Amino acid sequence: MTYFKYVAMAYAVFFIVLAWDFIVPRLQIRQQLREARNRLARANRTTATPVDEELSR
Amino acid sequence: MFKGLVGWFHKLGSPPYFDTFAARWSTWCYVISLPLFGYGLWQALAVVPADYQQGDSFRILYIHVPAAWMSLFVFGLMAFYGAIALVWRIKLCEILAMACAPIGAAFTLITLLSGSIWGKPMWGTWWDWDPRLTTELILLFLYLGVMGLYGAIDDRRAAARAAGLLSIVGVALLPVIRYSVLWWNSLHQGQTIRVFGESSMDSSMVLPLWIMVLATKFWFAGSLLSRARADNLRRETGKAWLRERVEKSS
Repeated sequence: MTYFKYVAMAYAVFFIVLAWDFIVPRLQIRQQLREARNRLARANRTTATPVDEELSR
Repeated sequence: MFKGLVGWFHKLGSPPYFDTFAARWSTWCYVISLPLFGYGLWQALAVVPADYQQGDSFRILYIHVPAAWMSLFVFGLMAFYGAIALVWRIKLCEILAMACAPIGAAFTLITLLSGSIWGKPMWGTWWDWDPRLTTELILLFLYLGVMGLYGAIDDRRAAARAAGLLSIVGVALLPVIRYSVLWWNSLHQGQTIRVFGESSMDSSMVLPLWIMVLATKFWFAGSLLSRARADNLRRETGKAWLRERVEKSS
């Protein structure tokens, strides 16, 4: 009566779901911080453009 | 002391302060939960003797029961945060309530799947429309409903309020799940483990279970803070404090 297959399956489900629960918020945080960095870089590029290089009408 | 606690709670409502707090404490919560999981699982899989009737299949209980308790606890907590968010319009509580939903759904999924896997050798079926199983499945749908509603409305604050209201209504299901084994004839076993009073399990089998319960609590705290931090960052996109923080880190 080892029922190894069933015990292994249940514990595999447990670890997979917890791994998903651990990874997803980390990816979301990384994505938000990357977006914030990109936004900052864009803002810096815009302000760094010299006035005489801007297009004029 | 109470004044200090209220002051700290107000400070926690500040998005930059919460970001720092969540980043620090989520890591600590995970760090505390891991040795607890390690010890609990080692006891559950290697030390505790097999059950005289169920054999080794009873070892599934060490993940099934903590996950089932968490599925109810997280829903209650989500409704509590949702109620605070609705009454006092505290943004942090909206964030925390919505962060609870995916974690609770994950624990409910573990409960249903591990229970189903245990049920196959013990009951001879993967699934039965038993009151406990059916109400737990409805709980999963409620979690998914809260997550879906939160994702469906563009205005984050309106979305959190609507989903919070759904979670408050859904709280009515919790006592039904809890007492379903008493109210109806159920295939699911009755109460075996008691917080207060004597459990019908041997004490050598109960201790690892409490350790697993504690481990899931710390895991939940870590996950809640991580998810709340992610949502907080999404809501604070473009704010000066986030710009400064990113500038400093890069």
